[in-house]
Amino acid sequence: MSQAGRVSLKSIVKRHGAVTALHGIDLEIEPGEFFALLGPSGSGKTTTLRIVAGLEETSGGSVFIDGVDVTHTEPGDRDVAMVFQSYALYPHLNVFQNIAFPLRMVGMPRQEMDDSVREAARKVHIDHLLARKPGQLSGGQQQRVALARAIVRKPRLFLLDEPLSNLDAKLRLETRGELKKLQRSLGVTTIYVTHDQEEAMTIADRMAVFMDGRIVQVGTPKSVFDRPATADVANFIGSPPMNLIHASYLDGAVTIGDHVLRSDCKFRGLRDVIVGIRPSSIRLGPTGIPARIDLIENLGDALLVDLRLGDDIIRARVGTDLSASEGDTVFFSAEPAHIHLFAADTRQRLNA
Amino acid sequence: MKRSAVANAVLIGVAGVFLTIWTFPVLWALLTSFKTERDVLAYPPTLFFTPTLGNYKDVLFGATTILPNLISSFIVATSTTIVTMLLAIPAAYALARLNLPARRAGGFYILATQMLPPVGLIIPYFLFLQKIGWLDSYKGMTLIYLTFSLPFAIWLMVSYFEDIPREMEEAALIDRAGRLRAFLYIVLPQVSGGIAVTVIFVFLNAWNEFLFAVVLGGNNVRQVTVAMFNFISVEQTMWAKLGAAAIVTMAPVLLLGLFAQRHIVKGLTVGAVKGGGRR
Repeated sequence: MSQAGRVSLKSIVKRHGAVTALHGIDLEIEPGEFFALLGPSGSGKTTTLRIVAGLEETSGGSVFIDGVDVTHTEPGDRDVAMVFQSYALYPHLNVFQNIAFPLRMVGMPRQEMDDSVREAARKVHIDHLLARKPGQLSGGQQQRVALARAIVRKPRLFLLDEPLSNLDAKLRLETRGELKKLQRSLGVTTIYVTHDQEEAMTIADRMAVFMDGRIVQVGTPKSVFDRPATADVANFIGSPPMNLIHASYLDGAVTIGDHVLRSDCKFRGLRDVIVGIRPSSIRLGPTGIPARIDLIENLGDALLVDLRLGDDIIRARVGTDLSASEGDTVFFSAEPAHIHLFAADTRQRLNA
Repeated sequence: MKRSAVANAVLIGVAGVFLTIWTFPVLWALLTSFKTERDVLAYPPTLFFTPTLGNYKDVLFGATTILPNLISSFIVATSTTIVTMLLAIPAAYALARLNLPARRAGGFYILATQMLPPVGLIIPYFLFLQKIGWLDSYKGMTLIYLTFSLPFAIWLMVSYFEDIPREMEEAALIDRAGRLRAFLYIVLPQVSGGIAVTVIFVFLNAWNEFLFAVVLGGNNVRQVTVAMFNFISVEQTMWAKLGAAAIVTMAPVLLLGLFAQRHIVKGLTVGAVKGGGRR
């Protein structure tokens, strides 16, 4: 794996007039890493990517690539390649010319260019389409052309802005796997913007979760999933999202309404908390907190059960062997290790 | 099936009526151009007559030749078109891309210049050209035509530039093209259809213009529209020659239109940014 492609963002601020889009972003991306910027729309992830690309000016802070300050470097001088959400293919050029464009711009000799274009096209399986115009290609093929145009240059950094969002579900799944393999074989640092948490979870080595122009958590998909830093991250990662219930905490025990759940928290004292339990962590059984079943949705291999507890709806993902039906009262519980606690005021994680 | 045949017939009939109304003057001029002056004045009009090429001979090579005037018109229209496009393309691109605060007001101003009745400007233009000594000159005519064609061309071109996604240029920037080459290699080829359309409009306006030509021109610059007007005089109107002159004047315009039509169709952007791609 190459050692080029280290990206550092130091307190990046971006303002559009009175609106602040990014409130001081700090980020370190290691060489060769597949790094996802994940967040809901408007959270600043695309703006961050565009700042790394040089398409957007910063209002403050610095961008470093391989230790060199590129904050005020033109996009073309940063040695990065980008795949846009819209692919941004050049419609008047055919596929070959599209892929060759970045090479033509640096005056690569004809023969060498020819070989490079064909090699890039072969890697993404579009070598039979070189004579076509972008308008004559399907969405998936266009996406591959955009990818080929990015890899043909052998840049030190790939920037991908929601590259799969315009593909249909089946193709997206296939391409996701191919993208990951391609990135591994090339070993080029890749920054990948997506709002799809499942996509980020499956494809990324590490990821940064964006909320309202801030990074709230950085880590491997597993660590973010297992230990969400805030209640909002917990709610954003995982499908269906984590159940969040207001409760009070005292010396390791959580009281929801009249009922008590054990958590593995050790700290002392009394405070208001938000309890987070993933739907898959909820156990239905003979003991626990009583709740009425509002709705049962059959997913085929599992059931999604909506439990009503006071004004809260708690979703559980359970096996298809459930004997209760809608309207019945059941008892639910969860392992202490699977209970996440967040401060009610700051929404920050309380468990270790 | 039957109904659609009837609908078709009606459609063709209506189209035929409109086509007749539109082409009648042209056909009439064409017919007249092959008649002798005597045949022209025959009443009722003769449909069958001995065609003559005499009018064309006179109009092109005879005493009343309009060839120099055609050349004058061509020079004025061409220089107007070239200068207009050289200024309008960068201006329209800037207007389409920059978030200028005066953009809306500017757009309205541009449109407003098209609403002014040209007659109202003749006297100021005359005095202005006289002051700087540009009356009856090619540069003077070009300058005056620019005042109309430039705003119009900018207004037309802006919409073509706006249709090109910014991302496409950004992709070119990242592909190391730089601003200028991104414009020349990526943006410009995609507005070639728009450029063709604008060129035609600008050229036609200058070529067909009469009012300013007759007042601000003279002996040096006498455009073909003015020369044709001279076939109509107090003593006599030479209809047949006028007809021939009209046909000769129309010919290059028709050729330009036919030539550009191919380009207009070719210049249409075919779904580059996805979504537009599949059709």
